[in-house]
Amino acid sequence: MRLASKRKSGDPMIVVDHVTKFYHGETVLDDVCLELGEGTNLGLIGPGGAGKSLLLKTIAGLVKPDRGSVYVDGHNVTRMKETELAELRFDIGMLFQNYALFDFMDVHGNVGFPLRQVGGYTEEQIAARVSELLSLVSLPNIGHQYPNELSGGMKKRVAFCRAVATRPPILFYDDPTMGLDPVTSSKIFIHLRRTQQAGGTTAVTVSHDIGGIADICDKFAMLDHGRLIFHGTPEEIERSDVRLVKQFWQGVSDD
Amino acid sequence: MINPLRRLFHVIGEQFMSLAFDVGGICLMTWRIFVALSPPRLDGPETWKNLYNVGVKSFPIVVVTAIFTGAIMVLQAGLYVKQYGADGLLGWGAGFSVLREVGPIMIGLMFSGRVGANNTAELGTMKVTEQIDALRALAINPLHYLVLPRFLAMILMLFLLVVIGDLTALVGGAVTSQYLLGVDTELFYWSLVTYIHLEDFTSGLAKAAAFGFAIGVISCHFGMTVSGGAVGVGRAVNNSVVASAIAIFVLDYFITFVIQ
Repeated sequence: MRLASKRKSGDPMIVVDHVTKFYHGETVLDDVCLELGEGTNLGLIGPGGAGKSLLLKTIAGLVKPDRGSVYVDGHNVTRMKETELAELRFDIGMLFQNYALFDFMDVHGNVGFPLRQVGGYTEEQIAARVSELLSLVSLPNIGHQYPNELSGGMKKRVAFCRAVATRPPILFYDDPTMGLDPVTSSKIFIHLRRTQQAGGTTAVTVSHDIGGIADICDKFAMLDHGRLIFHGTPEEIERSDVRLVKQFWQGVSDD
Repeated sequence: MINPLRRLFHVIGEQFMSLAFDVGGICLMTWRIFVALSPPRLDGPETWKNLYNVGVKSFPIVVVTAIFTGAIMVLQAGLYVKQYGADGLLGWGAGFSVLREVGPIMIGLMFSGRVGANNTAELGTMKVTEQIDALRALAINPLHYLVLPRFLAMILMLFLLVVIGDLTALVGGAVTSQYLLGVDTELFYWSLVTYIHLEDFTSGLAKAAAFGFAIGVISCHFGMTVSGGAVGVGRAVNNSVVASAIAIFVLDYFITFVIQ
């Protein structure tokens, strides 16, 4: 980690402590509490509009909660200044739901951007890493293209490459396989698992692809209307009595 | 049914809150820019890119505007100049109005429409497509990376464009006086250099720098605070252009008042 850890031995890597967020008078995150150990991959699930992406942004320090605190590696991100947060963010990779690719840069520029920011890489090393990542997501020859020339699925894969380019120890994926075909989705999930296994990465993955994240996540949390209605292991979610959790996990409805 | 009086107060209150948000936001953006400028941490390639986009790409539109502005000034004055036989005052009349007022204001308004609106739209689109969040997630302060280069480019380039625009307007005026009014270019030039003082030129440049400052802060504020998707971006661009135009006239009034 670039910023010295403030965690004691055995403390969780990420702590969400009674986080509440209001938006236009509505409670969009309601007293959410979560803990995530180092090297754990948490699958964050829930219906659309439940607050999953907002929670992810709150953990990343991009959104300040109205109540409660978030700790990442012992640092209270809700109280850190932007300059301190910037130091912490060198160790965080984030994949946005709507890609958030820089449209003023080509694909090569986008994927290589975090490497240039972190520093310590030559242009040859950056080019090699970019090629390696683009090949991994089956897009080997699109480095010169701009985001507006790509399909949604291609943008998602490029955004994935940008998120993992620096091999950060903490990763946040907001719907990494949205809009992808099953084969590419499978490749992405395999890569997520490999990344985690290789480097002990701590990750939070928001996804509606239950089948996919079931294979890669060690823990699951489910949000509904901003409230955390489940937090536990895959075995616990299998046995859960909560109707919405069961429905979501099994992919069935009341109708 | 909603009470009409209550509804009226609701609308007035909403408008007031919106105005207060923007005035406060513009003040806050100015403060943040000053804090970020001490010491300045600029991204070199972004700064050069913005200097090119803001300045070089505005050059043709400024030249065309300036030529016609100078020509119109001469045509307006020409009627009275001919009537009273005051050919020797034509250069002074055109120069005085162009250098002190019309040049900076016309170029400032064109600049606001082209560069300010474009800046708000660009930053606003980046905001609604989460690109600003992505920059922050990559440990980059959007103020240093996006706002500062644009802000400085706008001040510097509007200043230079007004210098070029003033000279072009005078050329436009001289050509018009020669070919449409029959006033010799040498007489136009003599009148200009005899009666125009350096302060007439520098006061226009002071206004240009102030207009660039205002357009920079206002367009960045509206761009960085966009919400509500494409509709929000359109609204922000509209507000940015209107606020910049108002700022140009208000600043012009106060600078003229202080200088005189």
